[in-house]
Amino acid sequence: MAAVQVSEAEKVYLMHGVRDDLRLDGRRCEDYRHMEIETDVVSNTDGSAKISLGHTDVLVGVKAEIGKPRPMVPDEGYLEFFVDCSANATPEFEGRGGEELGVELSNVLYKVFNNRHSVDLRSLCICAGENCWVLYVDVLLLQCDGNLFDAISIAIKAALFNTRIPKVRISEDEEGGKEIELSDDPYDCMRINVENVPCIVTLCKIGHRHVVDATLQEKACSVASLLISVTHKGMVTCVRKLGRGSLDPESIFEMTEAGKRVGKTLHAPLMELLQKEESLGKKRQKVGFLG
Amino acid sequence: MLKSKTFVKKTRSGGVLKIVREHYLRDDIWCGSEVCKECKDEAPVLQEDACIESNLCSYPHYLIPDTNVVLHQLDILVDPLITNVVILQTVLQEVRHRSATVYKRIKDAIHEKDKHFYTFTNEHHRETFVEREQGESANDRNDRAIRVAAKWYTDHLAKVTDGGPLKVVLLTNDRANKEKAEQCGLTVYRCEEYIKSLIGNPELVDRLALIADQNENTGSKLLFPEHLPLSRIQTGIKNGAFLQGTFHANRDNYLEGTVFIHREGADINEVLLRGFQNLNRAVHQDVVAVELLPKEHWVAPSSFVLLDDSPNDEDAEEDETENKLKSEAPESSALKPTGRVVGVIKRNWRPFCGMLSQSQIKEATRHLFTPADRRIPRIRIETRQAANLVGQRIMVAIDGWPKNSRYPNGHFVKNLGSAGDKETETEVLLLEHDVPHQPFSQAVLSFLPKMPWIITEEELKVRADLRHLSVCSVDPPGCTDIDDALHCRELEDGNLEVGVHIADVSHFIRPGNALDQEAASRGTTVYLCGKRIDMVPELLSSNLCSLRSNVERLAFSCIWEMNHKAEIIKTRFTKSIINSKASLTYAEAQMRIDDTTMNDDITKSLRGLNKLAKILKGRRIDKGALTLSSPEVRFHIDSETHDPIDLQTKELMETNSMVEEFMLLANISVAQKIYDEFSECALLRKHPAPPPSNYDILIKAAKSRDLDIHTDSAKALADSLNNATTESFPYFNTLLRILATRCMMQAVYFCSGMDNDFHHYGLASPIYTHFTSPIRRYSDIIVHRLLAVAINADSTYPDLMDKHKQSALCSNLNYRHKMAQYAQRASVAFHTQLFFKNKGIINEEGFILFVRKNAIIILIPKFGLEGTVFFENKDKPSPHLNFDSEGPSLKVEEHTFHIFDKVKVTISLDASNLQHQRIRMSLIEPVIPGVSVPVPEPEPVAKKPRLDR
Repeated sequence: MAAVQVSEAEKVYLMHGVRDDLRLDGRRCEDYRHMEIETDVVSNTDGSAKISLGHTDVLVGVKAEIGKPRPMVPDEGYLEFFVDCSANATPEFEGRGGEELGVELSNVLYKVFNNRHSVDLRSLCICAGENCWVLYVDVLLLQCDGNLFDAISIAIKAALFNTRIPKVRISEDEEGGKEIELSDDPYDCMRINVENVPCIVTLCKIGHRHVVDATLQEKACSVASLLISVTHKGMVTCVRKLGRGSLDPESIFEMTEAGKRVGKTLHAPLMELLQKEESLGKKRQKVGFLG
Repeated sequence: MLKSKTFVKKTRSGGVLKIVREHYLRDDIWCGSEVCKECKDEAPVLQEDACIESNLCSYPHYLIPDTNVVLHQLDILVDPLITNVVILQTVLQEVRHRSATVYKRIKDAIHEKDKHFYTFTNEHHRETFVEREQGESANDRNDRAIRVAAKWYTDHLAKVTDGGPLKVVLLTNDRANKEKAEQCGLTVYRCEEYIKSLIGNPELVDRLALIADQNENTGSKLLFPEHLPLSRIQTGIKNGAFLQGTFHANRDNYLEGTVFIHREGADINEVLLRGFQNLNRAVHQDVVAVELLPKEHWVAPSSFVLLDDSPNDEDAEEDETENKLKSEAPESSALKPTGRVVGVIKRNWRPFCGMLSQSQIKEATRHLFTPADRRIPRIRIETRQAANLVGQRIMVAIDGWPKNSRYPNGHFVKNLGSAGDKETETEVLLLEHDVPHQPFSQAVLSFLPKMPWIITEEELKVRADLRHLSVCSVDPPGCTDIDDALHCRELEDGNLEVGVHIADVSHFIRPGNALDQEAASRGTTVYLCGKRIDMVPELLSSNLCSLRSNVERLAFSCIWEMNHKAEIIKTRFTKSIINSKASLTYAEAQMRIDDTTMNDDITKSLRGLNKLAKILKGRRIDKGALTLSSPEVRFHIDSETHDPIDLQTKELMETNSMVEEFMLLANISVAQKIYDEFSECALLRKHPAPPPSNYDILIKAAKSRDLDIHTDSAKALADSLNNATTESFPYFNTLLRILATRCMMQAVYFCSGMDNDFHHYGLASPIYTHFTSPIRRYSDIIVHRLLAVAINADSTYPDLMDKHKQSALCSNLNYRHKMAQYAQRASVAFHTQLFFKNKGIINEEGFILFVRKNAIIILIPKFGLEGTVFFENKDKPSPHLNFDSEGPSLKVEEHTFHIFDKVKVTISLDASNLQHQRIRMSLIEPVIPGVSVPVPEPEPVAKKPRLDR
């Protein structure tokens, strides 16, 4: 991934700052950078969101399609993830350069989101064992400036919030042949409950402390980071260690606590923002990609 | 400005797709009015003084009809009186979606300059575009869009005219829509309301379609069972509870009909329907769903002739007649699957020609309309000009058939002219038989060769030059579309060379162009008495393609080398150039052959041909070809009045059969050739052998004279027909042959790849096609193209080799041929009537052709005329009748009528029913008290009024 070169002197300066709870851009250790979210940006998806976190830009689109439920869980729908690392983000992604990162990211997203605790998968079932909705979540990285996981997870939550799945009815004829019927009212649709959808908080260990929402520079100074997915209640649903270095149990504990704290405070303003945006309805001036 | 329209759609594989369309709004869409200076329209369509005089709106106004008004009241909108109409894009789109025919008509109206119809693209106008709101149905949105557009027009016009008189009027029949429109301050009327207020043209009211108001008339008794909804019908058809088919009403019995089941492989392919309730408002040609009745309710087709001519307009019960039908003794063998209509899948209503039967109540506006086609029920229409329409041929469209109405409701469309008028009647019979008879369009004419036309050098190079041969044509007198010519000459080795030269129409009509498509759609030239409706434009049919004498013409030749026993040694097909030396009539050709003093090349050629033809004919008859007979008549038409002045049965001469023989030979040779080359896509003609039961009537008829007819094979039939003569009754054989003709099946075109039975029964040929009349038959053009490809004289094209496309073409050709035949017969019938109208009452001898339960059908050989003598009469007590189906014979009081009995009748024109003027026959001999009529004195021929003073 895109990396920056940091000299020893810079490193020391940065680490000292972190130690004193003051980062290069003036943030404290548990502060996020400025964040902008907009939903319903891609009209031909069923739900979409664009987020910019610092200079990290991520676009997420959700498309609902009818598919067959997995045999093990016939009464549930499921999510599919695909992360496209656009060469826009960094020249290294050109060709198949971004593939490895994309697969890594989507694997984590599977773990975090595709389970019944995060998303109410049962509501995606149309007819047990026969049809269910499959949500294809497509993530497009437009610009990388660190902390991809957090940005992606917030964008996914926003996009799922924005998703509207057309309502369908199963009609049965006399011989038991089933047919899916669509309502002809485009407003007649189903929403997804995003209450329990977690957000990912990535904590970077720098020196003896850890920071959230690390920039590329900060990341270069860290040997390991911990990825924690937290629901709005502060429940941790997934923990993963990233990076080459190791973490001692004590700091893992500390970092988890910090992650829970930060995660909890992340959800409330996010939902508030999304609700506020929706209440604007059609009057909302769309910003899109030019804003 | 960009908006997007979003909707979800179900894909064929069962998926759900969200579709997003970009929708651009603009502010440069003009209102199209002359008064408006704001809009920069270069050629405004709507006039400043848009005046339709009306009681309701005394000011100039533009009309804005909503979708349903356009869909249902189009007959009004296209009237020349209605001008300055704004057709909204929303309306246009909905109409297009709902009915292709209405869409086409409204588009035509918009293109017409004098109508001042303007399409306002409100969906793309920034100020009139509306988005669908939550909880709003698509229809509601469209209604709102129409209101918004109307409102915009109102405001816009008020602004640009500074409160001038010009307004817009919204027409809608939707009550809710009207209320809402009034709320936003629009001028809005119901269509009826508005049309009735028009001062200029009160007759427009008649054209209002009667839309059944669901809430009305619920009190009155329901006459028919309710139709099932389409979804139930579809599931019923899927699981076999119902059958889908086309309804055919019975021509002679209005309470009976047949449904022909579409499904292939179905064990039942015809379902009989009987009785008012079971027919359940099906109209001839509708696609219906029927349910079979249990077997114990099955009935046999009745042999009653039953016409719906009750004069009353009431919704009378038909108990009496229905009871009569039921009382018939059922013969278990004749029982047919019987059913009832449960729903109509597709109405096939078209405008019908017919006449008005005026209501007896003087002031009434509701009248019954009697269609010319007896299979169509009478239609109730509303008109205030009944007095003007009586005696006129009019066109009426059906609007609907409510379940509490005895008759369907309809509205007046067009007045065709007075009944009995030759022009009008011809128009009617062309319309009724679906014969395309409009003049050729510019697009079609543009593909004609430029005049003066000459044969180019290139053509000379690739074609065989046969100009030196003494070719001649033999045709009926007055023929201008000569498509065949013949020659015969002796070769050096003593053999004979015989050539049949057919006009090379496919050279002029190239595949796929407008001319070709028009010809394919027309299918055939239709010959009526004194009128010909050409398949190809006259320049081709009567000039460039016609093989007239002493001009050079392109031909497609089939040349045989034969020995004197008429055995073919060699066959050759070639495109050629010929120069016919003489265009003869049959009589002229006959004269030349008989006149021993004439010895020129043409005469010698004719004699050779005649000799060979006789051998060929003999051989064909030996093989079992049938010589059938049908009484054909020809009118002598007065050259000035075009009235028929005399009637004569067509006479057959040797030369007729000479030409026919060679045409048959050419057709068979070509059929074999194209089938050898293209086994999958050759266009052939077959004549299936009739099922044995068809011959029952013939065998019975012969039995009545103690003769046996064998029908095992065509040969047996031909032989037994030849032997079936009685000395005392010379016309008997002809009668038998006429009867045999009626037993036959219809010959049809088919594509060789789609069928495996090629046999032509009547001609006793294993293979047959039509090659010899490309000017008047489209099938021959296709055969020409196939043959041209086979001999490398022309290139092929994809449709020619596509057996499915060709099969579809065949069914169109078969349909057109059938309709042309019917039209022809109808024309002859009409002229016969004209003839008898001029003649007055005539007494004539005739023979009984068929015996029915309550009537006998009589053939008058002298006029080739058939008529029915009924023994039941509404206003007289019917005589005692006893029908024996074995004979068949009918015992009326004391006298028994057998088939072929000689009777004497008096013929007169029955003009009591103007619509169906018919030839009335009444019995004179044998004398049966109470049935036969006294011999009327033949009226003295009316002297022509003298004009000299």
